[in-house]
Amino acid sequence: MRIGIDVGGTNTDAALICDDQVLAGAKSQTTEDVTSGVTSVIQKVLQASGHSHSDVSAVMVGTTHFVNAFVQRKSLLNVACIRIGLPLGSGIPPLVDWPDDLREQIGEHIYMIGGGSYFNGHEYATLDEQALQQAAEDIKAKGITAIAISSVFAPVRPDIETKAAEILNRHLGTAYITLSHQVGGIGLVERENAAIINASLQALSRKVVPSLHQALKELGIDAPLYLSHNDGTLMSTDYAMQFPVMTCSAGPTNSIRGAAFLSGLEEAIVVDIGGTTSDIGGLSKGFPRETSDASDIGGVRTNFSMPDVLSIGLGGGTLVKHDEQGIILGPESVGYQLTEKAMIFGGDVLTTSDIAVANGQMKFGDASLVSHLNEEFIDRVCQAMKSKLESAIDQLKISAEPIPVILVGGGAHLISGELKGTSRVIHPTNSDVANAIGAAIAQVGGRVKRLFDYQVEGGREAALEKAKQEAINNAINAGAQPGTVKVIELEEYPMTHVQSHAVDVKVKAVGQLGE
Amino acid sequence: MIINTVEQIKDLTRGAVFLGTGGGGDPYVGELLLLQEIRKGRHVRVIKASELADDAQVVSIAGIGAPSVLVEHLQSEDTCRSLVAKMEAQLGKKIDAIIPAEIGGLNSIIPMAVSAQLGLPVIDADGMGRAFPHLEMVTFSVYGSSAVPICIANEFGDSVIIEKTTTDRKAEDLARGICANLGAMIYSALYPMSGAETKAKAVHNTLSYCMEIGRGIREAREQLSNPIEGIMAILEQPDIDRHARILFEGKVIDINRETRDGWHWASVVMAPLDGGDDRFELDIQNEYLQGKLNGKTTCLVPDLIATLDLDTCEPLTAEALKYGQRLRVIGTAAAPIMRRPECLKVFGPAGFGMDDEFVPLEAL
Repeated sequence: MRIGIDVGGTNTDAALICDDQVLAGAKSQTTEDVTSGVTSVIQKVLQASGHSHSDVSAVMVGTTHFVNAFVQRKSLLNVACIRIGLPLGSGIPPLVDWPDDLREQIGEHIYMIGGGSYFNGHEYATLDEQALQQAAEDIKAKGITAIAISSVFAPVRPDIETKAAEILNRHLGTAYITLSHQVGGIGLVERENAAIINASLQALSRKVVPSLHQALKELGIDAPLYLSHNDGTLMSTDYAMQFPVMTCSAGPTNSIRGAAFLSGLEEAIVVDIGGTTSDIGGLSKGFPRETSDASDIGGVRTNFSMPDVLSIGLGGGTLVKHDEQGIILGPESVGYQLTEKAMIFGGDVLTTSDIAVANGQMKFGDASLVSHLNEEFIDRVCQAMKSKLESAIDQLKISAEPIPVILVGGGAHLISGELKGTSRVIHPTNSDVANAIGAAIAQVGGRVKRLFDYQVEGGREAALEKAKQEAINNAINAGAQPGTVKVIELEEYPMTHVQSHAVDVKVKAVGQLGE
Repeated sequence: MIINTVEQIKDLTRGAVFLGTGGGGDPYVGELLLLQEIRKGRHVRVIKASELADDAQVVSIAGIGAPSVLVEHLQSEDTCRSLVAKMEAQLGKKIDAIIPAEIGGLNSIIPMAVSAQLGLPVIDADGMGRAFPHLEMVTFSVYGSSAVPICIANEFGDSVIIEKTTTDRKAEDLARGICANLGAMIYSALYPMSGAETKAKAVHNTLSYCMEIGRGIREAREQLSNPIEGIMAILEQPDIDRHARILFEGKVIDINRETRDGWHWASVVMAPLDGGDDRFELDIQNEYLQGKLNGKTTCLVPDLIATLDLDTCEPLTAEALKYGQRLRVIGTAAAPIMRRPECLKVFGPAGFGMDDEFVPLEAL
């Protein structure tokens, strides 16, 4: 049986799963070191289920810890930013658009080196190895251990970055090197940013991931550990240590995947209602629908495929006020202080949870403390919550057809009854740990995103076949059982404004975890 | 006016997306280039065309190329700077000021970065007050100034001079071909003009208008509970020939896109949020050409169409539109010079192969 764990900003949730059955769920508080919260929630979930540590065959952890550390500027390393591109790009060096406090934390160690490729893979300049060696000397003298390497059109010519890394390794011995083609697609600035973010998190990932291993060992669990990838698949701990940036949207992804599992649906809207916000996302073919918009991580622009999630200020701790205009919901929330400040806990602040309890939808705190609320008022607040959610759901729908809505998260029972524009509203059991369930059921994935020249590859069919095979191999290398790997996504983006045979191809393959 | 703050640059970029009328190229890369110049302590000085001597030498600077190459082949410091020097050698005359050819999209910001680099003033005017797909679609050309000589360079040090062409359209075709052979992203110095020509032929005050729109959107969003009112107050001032209409509010229910002849063609259909029967259609050929409500035209090129996020009022390009998005579509009148018959022939409906007769927004 598997344990799935979701380490959120406030709570660490766990679910124990055996053969597609949820045996138990548990919640614990997230701790500064991540590990003690994980230890505590594993103990709780085993206790609740009556199973022993020796029954556990795998542990999957989804965590927003790394992205939170970056957003809060905690535990970040100095990074040497090496860009291979001259004579191009001197007008726009790395870090130009970064917030000042981050530039300071990362340090402005910028090295612009000659070399790079056209979109068709031909080099316009050869790699300036001498300049690279000089950079290595300087990096060594400064004592910098984290390096991000980017190069022009690296998704077409990844070997240029790889060669540069080899040269640096020869000079520096051990350094944490992130190559831009490993973390992003077309768009040099965004791809380079992702590589720099990833490099800055190397000290943290190399502390947290081994400490999770240690925690399992101390609990007597002798089972492999995986981390959740942004796209809802699993990655090995080695891979996760190297690419902590790949965990940054695992939270919403896992909750959408968990909702799919609990409801048995593949096409739906998922609403994850937490303490302060509701995150609304689309479920398509059993996976989160992704956005292609530039995404912002801690004030830095990146181009990760992120789940297309809309956050609105509606959670279990959201304040309820009213004036002559009507009901006002939030956006302020009592957040984690719900159990002190809400009326059902003897506090003096009216929250959405108080209303849901007064309306008999939710069992939480002391219902007698809200029995004085008048029915008409309760009804109006419930309507206001629903219409706020309905309007958000409408924005995520991809057609006018009514679609099922799955409600998950700790605050799922704030909403009851029907919602406009939906075919049905589903409250699955164990919905409060949907995110941990999403982590536990994850498959292993492989991706390809780069330019293919259809003429060079011998036509469209041959090029797509090659792209699919690369994605399948990536999944197998990440630990998928070869026979189970399927391509679940294939997109082609031809170039505009110029006549060419180059097409940006995106493929995603997933397979079952090997035993 | 001096431009030397990050906030000003963000305002300009936002305004440039609005005036890009859905196209013009994402100005983000230009924003980064200008940001870097400002970080170095440089600034952009904006002057009115009326401040120019009649015999002053003015030139436009513009980028031409594929968006997917633009985001990899980032600009070097020297490329556009070298174009100014090349043009000076070609003309045998010092350049006194730079004028944007196209105030919408990427090409509004590039001239400003060059201005900051060289310390040359940039003129508060352009050749269209918006974005268009071809280099001959400017008032400069309509009123007899010639695009040539055009100095072209890529980032690798290759350069070409188009010395003479029979028409500016021919220059466009040549430049496009050169672009394909020089790595799919080139920069050009074009339309060398005198101060007197600039005063007579440009669309004036468009740079400050771009800034005013970008700032207006930001301030309205920060200060007003209903930001669109603040934005419309800027866009609609009939006494200074500004006319604007909210053409539609609703969500995108259908998008058809295709890449034909290397251009982005699309049509977008929108429906009201309340589920009503009205349908609004946007026709796109790189930029928005026409808006139709239930089949009846409500805004037509060269009048401008902009799409704004319904909640944040952030302007969005046509490439960024997606299913389910909630938008407010705004039509604004082109400058009076743009609506003259001789201009409409080049970049009115006829210039885009449409049969429709141009009717001003405020008369529709």
